[in-house]
Amino acid sequence: MSSSSKWESVIGLEVHVQVRTQTKMFCGCTNQYGDAQNTHLCPVCLGLPGSLPVPNEEAIRKTILSGLMLGCKITPVARFDRKNYFYPDMPKNYQISQYDDPLCAGGGVTLDPFLFPKEIQETDEAKAGRSIRLVRIHLEEDVAKSFHFEDRSGIDFNRAGTPLMEIVSEADLRTPGEAFSFLGSLRQILLAGNVSDADMEKGQMRCDVNVSVRPFGQKEYGTKVELKNLNSISGVRRALTYEIARQIAACEKGESIAHETRRWDDEAGATFTMRTKEKAHDYRYFPEPDLLPVRTDQGLLESARTLVPELPSDLQSRLIRDFGVTPYQASVLTADRILCGYYEKAAGGTKNKALVANWILNDFLATQPDPTTTPVRPEYFGELADLVAGGAINSAQAKKVFTELTTNPSSPKEIVKKLGLEQISDSSALSAYCDEAIAANPRSVEDYKAGKMNAINALKGFVMKKSQGKANPSQVDEILRTKLSA
Amino acid sequence: MSAPQINISDVASLARLTLTREETEKFSSQLGQILSHMDSLKQIEMGDVPEVTPPAQPNLRKDVPVPSLTLQAALSNAPAQANDLILVPKIVE
Amino acid sequence: MSLAHESIASLRRRLAAKEIRCRDIVQDLLQQIDAREKTIHAYTHVDREAALAAAEKADPTLPLGGIPIAIKDNLNVLGDPCTCASKILDGYKAPYDATAIARLRQAGAIFLGRTNMDEFAMGSSTENSALGITRNPWDSSRIPGGSSGGSAAAVGGRIALAALGSDTGGSIRQPAALCGCVGLKPTYGRISRYGLVAFASSLDQIGPLTRTVEDSAILLSALAGHDPHDNTTDLRKPESFLTKPDASVKGLRVGIPKEYFIPGMDAETEAAVRQSAEWFKKNGATLVDISLPHTPSAIAVYYILATAEASANLARFDGVRYGRRAADPRDVLDLYHRTRSEGFGPEVKRRIILGTFVLSAGYTDAYYRKAQKVRGLIRQDFGKAFASCDLLLTPTSPEPAFKLGERTQDPLKMYLADVFTISVNLAGNPAISLPCGFTKSNLPIGLQLIGPRFGEEKILQAGHSYEQAHDWHKRLPPT
Repeated sequence: MSSSSKWESVIGLEVHVQVRTQTKMFCGCTNQYGDAQNTHLCPVCLGLPGSLPVPNEEAIRKTILSGLMLGCKITPVARFDRKNYFYPDMPKNYQISQYDDPLCAGGGVTLDPFLFPKEIQETDEAKAGRSIRLVRIHLEEDVAKSFHFEDRSGIDFNRAGTPLMEIVSEADLRTPGEAFSFLGSLRQILLAGNVSDADMEKGQMRCDVNVSVRPFGQKEYGTKVELKNLNSISGVRRALTYEIARQIAACEKGESIAHETRRWDDEAGATFTMRTKEKAHDYRYFPEPDLLPVRTDQGLLESARTLVPELPSDLQSRLIRDFGVTPYQASVLTADRILCGYYEKAAGGTKNKALVANWILNDFLATQPDPTTTPVRPEYFGELADLVAGGAINSAQAKKVFTELTTNPSSPKEIVKKLGLEQISDSSALSAYCDEAIAANPRSVEDYKAGKMNAINALKGFVMKKSQGKANPSQVDEILRTKLSA
Repeated sequence: MSAPQINISDVASLARLTLTREETEKFSSQLGQILSHMDSLKQIEMGDVPEVTPPAQPNLRKDVPVPSLTLQAALSNAPAQANDLILVPKIVE
Repeated sequence: MSLAHESIASLRRRLAAKEIRCRDIVQDLLQQIDAREKTIHAYTHVDREAALAAAEKADPTLPLGGIPIAIKDNLNVLGDPCTCASKILDGYKAPYDATAIARLRQAGAIFLGRTNMDEFAMGSSTENSALGITRNPWDSSRIPGGSSGGSAAAVGGRIALAALGSDTGGSIRQPAALCGCVGLKPTYGRISRYGLVAFASSLDQIGPLTRTVEDSAILLSALAGHDPHDNTTDLRKPESFLTKPDASVKGLRVGIPKEYFIPGMDAETEAAVRQSAEWFKKNGATLVDISLPHTPSAIAVYYILATAEASANLARFDGVRYGRRAADPRDVLDLYHRTRSEGFGPEVKRRIILGTFVLSAGYTDAYYRKAQKVRGLIRQDFGKAFASCDLLLTPTSPEPAFKLGERTQDPLKMYLADVFTISVNLAGNPAISLPCGFTKSNLPIGLQLIGPRFGEEKILQAGHSYEQAHDWHKRLPPT
């Protein structure tokens, strides 16, 4: 929260997300990060004279899909526009983007409590479940990548032309923690739809921030400052925390805030004025004459609808309701769909779904498995849970089975047999053990009869030892109490 | 209303062009004339021009990769290059 | 008679009959070039060796097998320069073929050389070339027209059989009229623009310049059709053109738009065009008086929209990835400013500035958006006209070729010369210019036939009928 509760911070985010497609936005060059420089180029993405753009249908479909997942209205006729400015990473010195008729309008992102920074997840701020409105989502092409050396710069055009979604939020965010959760929640939704990996450290998701402060209760906005060079979700939080404090300090001193762009320096932990630019860019937007308008109502919208996955919030609700997992466990599973799929398979064949969740999320996950290739079949967990719940083995034995399961995978039933772990539940056999225990521990028997209820534990321990851990603990307890009260 | 005075230098700067003083003067008067001629558009009765319905088939491209230019072909026209990068003077933010 | 004086259709018949070989055609043409090119200067490059080598390998059974075609210097041909008659593309070698070029290759054509033009296709006289002027083959003190002046002068001057040009506001038709040959601008979306260096994206079209209408139809057939590389090409199935060469003009409704016969236009031009209209009437067509009321706005609309698009299309010429780069730039800004200021000629700079202005903040509504709306009205004018007409008949140019240097100091006057051709580009319709007479001083006069969108067949048929009934296309320029 802001250092002084007299002040309210107002934050808006502009997020650029690279869309995961085989090819670039306007040409058939491979869309791949990390390959040899300048090897994925053609006349179109290199901006050669005479080249023309042709839109990637899949990129448009995935943008519509993103809009559907985020509750946007999808424009029936979308158009592309030219955004004109000169920069060495721009092959044409205009960027094909969308201005008047973007693919998606409106929509929103609900802040997932479990995607707030860990240390504030228990606060009211995180639990509020606020929904942040979006202004729009549009599609454009990414620029090239430049490398800076001592006295010159070098440009790799592989990235030029990558399909890029621009997602703009309303200025609804109020804290750095909310911004952190917004980015995590947005990312999770995009992952669910297979739209993008949205990894900020790989440049697949980039974020610019607009932040201002104003006295609580004031309707007018304070002066907006734009922050750039934010390279991770936690970096966004750190930058906002710093900048809000800076603005508040200035306001409290009566200084004015300059309307400017500031660069976040993560090492220094501060924002700095970027070299002052002259007046704001005049982008001279006009409709892209090389591209036909895109009608989404002729099949694109329908095909995108078929791709809408179960949304993270819906999945979490379903897991809690139908599987009995805790909200925290639901959030862990939602964040990893592959693991979630594994879990659903594991829990599918048993009533003891919550028990399966514990095994998988606590014990199994600690072994760092790859759910897609692990020889530990998901059904094994269901079987294991049933064995425990049904009394065939006790929880101590189950732990032994689990260890064996992860080192020499085979069905738990087989492991129980192999290790000779069948729990003894036969009352006459247990009765014999109990008699032995009573005979061997007269002091404990006396103590118990005298009112020290815990004395029974020594007798139980004796039975477990004698039975090599196989005795059914709850039955033993019952039998002992019956005998001792006789 | 007469044609606006174009600030030729501002516009030239947007287009990354440097004009000599002579060019600036000449263009100023020539473009002034041309813009006056364009003012005739103001008189036109707009009436009802129906919006052109965009075609249902927007000729989109399937997401299938095609061969790119070789590195050599891509850089063959570059005025300055090194280590497979196209070089420019140092870009300062 | 030299083979260079024959039509493509006739040469193809002779090739098929094995009367001649492909190399004979190229050799004859090269001879004509040697005799006349020094005066005309239609070409920026002539590829003698390449053309002769290609002629040896040519397959005469293909639709254009062994036929040499000259290419306007704004079309990318793999491995060749593509200067657009500008210093800024000095040194650029095309790493790819334009689709139009690829289709000509597929049809067996060979490439003879590249022709001169106004820089980046901006001009009506080919005086804006950084590679020297081109002279009209009928009178070397006069312009050949522009911007495809080199292509028209080569074809009209009989030093090319045919050439490709581009037409944004009349740049094929007007020089064709001034040089006495046939020039076709197809419907917008008919021929792919991929590989044509863009001037104004919503107006540009590639088209053939030829000696006869039949040759024009042959080239159109080879070039036309949807291209997945060009989103603005139409999806309709491939067509054949001039399928009924003997069809008469009887019953055709020929519209005569009153706005195209204005006071002050050249009297001989008007007389020749009206006479052509009479020929149609005498042969059974009906002349229909029509009006295209928004014609007077066309020049303003054109120069706003075309320069706006051009200002963006030419932004890519910055010395970073190709072309000439200014020496020892201090920084990126200096690189841009000096490369562009040194590389572009004055007409190009003038249009870039105009285009940048009409798009700039505060002026977009008054100029750019208004012009777009009036363009819609112009389209509507043509749509209404074609409800009652099969084609329209007009002069191509208000006057024959004027003298070199006459208009270079008066850009507005130069722009006004495009008045009869410009509306057609704004509406997207097809139009053809063909010879319909000569002035007393032996300067060619052009007749323009305008068709409905995708109605090339109508204007090719009518043009062919008219041409075959006259001898204009057979007259040779003075040597």
